[in-house]
Amino acid sequence: MDTIQLAATDRAPLVDFDFASGRLQLRGESYPEDAAAFFGPLLQALRGYLAEGGVDPIVCEVGLVYFNSSSAKALMNLFMLLEDAAAEGRPVTIRWHFAEGDETIEEAGEDFAADFAHGRFEMVREQPA
Amino acid sequence: MLAQDFMNFFDVSRRRGVILSFGGDISENVLFSLGEVLKLRMSQGETDASVAKRVFAIFVEQAQNVIRYSADKVPRSTAKPGGLISAGVIVVGSQAERFFVVCGNELPSAEVPTLRARLDHLAGLTSEELKAFYREKLRQPPDEGSLGGSIGLIEIARRSSAPVEYDFQDLGQERSFFCLKAYI
Repeated sequence: MDTIQLAATDRAPLVDFDFASGRLQLRGESYPEDAAAFFGPLLQALRGYLAEGGVDPIVCEVGLVYFNSSSAKALMNLFMLLEDAAAEGRPVTIRWHFAEGDETIEEAGEDFAADFAHGRFEMVREQPA
Repeated sequence: MLAQDFMNFFDVSRRRGVILSFGGDISENVLFSLGEVLKLRMSQGETDASVAKRVFAIFVEQAQNVIRYSADKVPRSTAKPGGLISAGVIVVGSQAERFFVVCGNELPSAEVPTLRARLDHLAGLTSEELKAFYREKLRQPPDEGSLGGSIGLIEIARRSSAPVEYDFQDLGQERSFFCLKAYI
């Protein structure tokens, strides 16, 4: 499975899906012109990777400072794939990064966390730079 | 006359607290550029960072609604959201110590009852109910005809500090003008 690396743009996050090591990363702002077109290939690649049925742990680091509602939908789909894999026994950890004091992002993380029964969802508080 | 006309126009806007206004064809690139100057303007003022983020978030959802759902679109070969160009109006301003974001666009009159019902429903929800509804919709496939997540309006209502105002004006020819105003 290939690695997917996309540099952050003004409105789309950095993507680093290193399937070989099980480390997935999204960082930055997310309100792409077309969220379905942006996230579609990422979801498809993840689905393919999970279908291979490995047992290695997956760690997904998400550090978004802003995301629009279309991106929220895509994130939900991403997390559901990971939770499904966790339900089948794959060790999955989501690490949700948020800046100290950013209640919007903190609350969004807590909302997503509520859907994980098998995967671990860690809230990672960061001090503002 | 020329300077006076447009100075008057500009003055009236400023007296009404308008920070930026755009009327005409809106694309994703226009949204991005307006958003950039809006962020800059708010970061240079004394706007609280969390308020600035909410204004920006509501601005993005409103502008994307115009781009996606305006009935007055520039015909293009692609129907993808990223390539759409749609006519509408977007105004961001501040009045009485709070911000507002207004958007307006034409839509087919046939869509008015459904949209009105959705907005009436959202208007009747408490903030906790809005949050629960948002979470519920996030888990469902998008509504038919939706190009996003069908959750933009809920997001706008959630991020607003007062009930969202909305109105429809019949334009004849089976078209109506839809207007939405959110306060932050």
